[in-house]
Amino acid sequence: MSELEADKLVDGTLAWRAPPVPPRRRRLATALANAWHELRKSRTASIGAVMLVLLFGACIATPWIATHDPIKQNYRARLAPPSEQHLLGTDRLGRDIYSRLLYGGRRLVTIAVVAVALSLLIGVPFGVLTGYFGGLADTIGMRIVDGLLAFPGLLLYLLFVTVAQAWKFEGFMVDVVLVGALAFAGMPEKARLARGSVLAEKQKEYVEASRAMGDSSFCIALAQVLPNIVSPLIVTATVRFGFVILIVAALSFLGLGTPPPTPDWGSDLSAARDYMETHPLIAAFPGLAICYTVLAFNLFGDGLRDILDPRLAER
Amino acid sequence: MLAYTLRRIAQLVPVLLLLSVAVFGFVEALPGSIVDTLVGTEGGDIEEARKILEKEYGLDQPVYVRYAKWLYRAVQFDFGKSLVTRRPISFELLSRIPATVYLAVVGISLSMLIAIPLGTFAAVRRNSGVDYTAQVSSLAGISIPEFWFAILCVLLFSLYLGWLPSSGYVSPFEDFWGSLQFLILPAAAIGFRQAAFTTRLTRSSMLDELSKEYVDTARSMGLPERRVIFRYTLRNAMIPTITISGLQLANLLGGTVVLESIFAWPGIGRAIFEAILQRDYPLIQAGVLVLGCIVVVMNLLVDLTYRLLNPRVKFA
Repeated sequence: MSELEADKLVDGTLAWRAPPVPPRRRRLATALANAWHELRKSRTASIGAVMLVLLFGACIATPWIATHDPIKQNYRARLAPPSEQHLLGTDRLGRDIYSRLLYGGRRLVTIAVVAVALSLLIGVPFGVLTGYFGGLADTIGMRIVDGLLAFPGLLLYLLFVTVAQAWKFEGFMVDVVLVGALAFAGMPEKARLARGSVLAEKQKEYVEASRAMGDSSFCIALAQVLPNIVSPLIVTATVRFGFVILIVAALSFLGLGTPPPTPDWGSDLSAARDYMETHPLIAAFPGLAICYTVLAFNLFGDGLRDILDPRLAER
Repeated sequence: MLAYTLRRIAQLVPVLLLLSVAVFGFVEALPGSIVDTLVGTEGGDIEEARKILEKEYGLDQPVYVRYAKWLYRAVQFDFGKSLVTRRPISFELLSRIPATVYLAVVGISLSMLIAIPLGTFAAVRRNSGVDYTAQVSSLAGISIPEFWFAILCVLLFSLYLGWLPSSGYVSPFEDFWGSLQFLILPAAAIGFRQAAFTTRLTRSSMLDELSKEYVDTARSMGLPERRVIFRYTLRNAMIPTITISGLQLANLLGGTVVLESIFAWPGIGRAIFEAILQRDYPLIQAGVLVLGCIVVVMNLLVDLTYRLLNPRVKFA
């Protein structure tokens, strides 16, 4: 219960009547319209949003807009240039590049979405709780976070992938391990952010009020403080998407991702290196696809930061 | 400052212990044991060989004893021998460190040389052509995957134009000019990407400083603009820039695995990558531990430098 409502109850004379709730579909439409209105304030954010809608649209519609089976080889049409039949040409085994890009993107974006969502799910409660309780919990929690941050660059993922390979994991299980590693490694960032905001929010009066009303610490930490730190978290998560996509692509570029013939931007790019001199287009397309995706998330994240933090937008 | 430094060093201990437990646990999580690998290659009386080897590697002891022994030797930089080359792991790693340091230091210097003037100029001439160029190119630099950028550079400069070798390494102590040829492409690939981050940071911290009141005071006192910028704002704005460059350097020392393998650069990142391909687990273990320690210590040094440069930060 907020302070305002409490005042009104004490006052007793102000009867607060809820406005009629519009039907669900109208509400969704209004919410989207509002969101779009906010986004229009920042050009970067709107460009990023459009790019993201196209990206997610393509990922969802992949089975319908792909023209070929991404794994089917066709030796009579190897290394073909772009044509009506193969929109972006074919690779060294005669597989349709356009369809491979679509299916690869679908997989990559799914991995990124799950990994980022998981890292939020682990990191945020972790940071909120350590920050809220402080003391020993905080000390231990932050040392764990420091320990995770001590793994530079790709090393943590390399360790996870090595273990997965040694256990002879295949296909889906490799992805699961990768997502786990990404979520685990993305956790400290969110935990630190959440902890920092909680330390700042903890001092404020509404938390005091909530405590005075007899809410438990746990309840206050999650129900009262959490909603107030959402916007920096959204921005970090958006920027993290681009980062996750770069890491997954880099791992499969090194040959440590899902083994062929699964369509994958990183490993397709790596395979295209051998034909780079004569057929540079084959190496260009997966690279451009990665750039497009990462750029979309970065633009959106930058714009969101400007919108959600007006102090920074001044710059 | 001294008390703070000591406390920070004390805080390192649990972090390093955690790191060592994680790295040790990684090998424990592998299926089978080192003995299977070794026995498989040698043949003969398997059970007998197994027993001897288990004793030799101390595998007949409980986990915590093995961890303590391993840690005791690791502290003295003794990681045993590589499974593949049979040379001491400490030698394998130490011989790879110079190449990584060389590449990382040159790459970061290059990035600072690009980013600081560009970011400063973009902030001073805000909304000008330079500013837009800086913003667009830094956004591109952040979004382009470094391995793609690297192979495009190879395609252009070595395959089409033939100006530079596509990969390889020559020590700068043997042939300085020759080594520069090999260095240019990987260093440019690192420099371009890191410069993208640094430019953004320099620009925004410079804008932050320029909007402060002391700038107005200095201007109203009639000080020339050049003096205001170079003498006052730039100095303050450099603090975050130098900090981020230090952190980037720490991260690069921790292995630019992808670039080192594209350019066949014999650094520590590539050593670990090769070890992964060859399943040389003790080498992976030691490599990750050493790199983790380097990163942790570098981060501490960066933090302490930051506090030296910026006395306003409280020693909380």
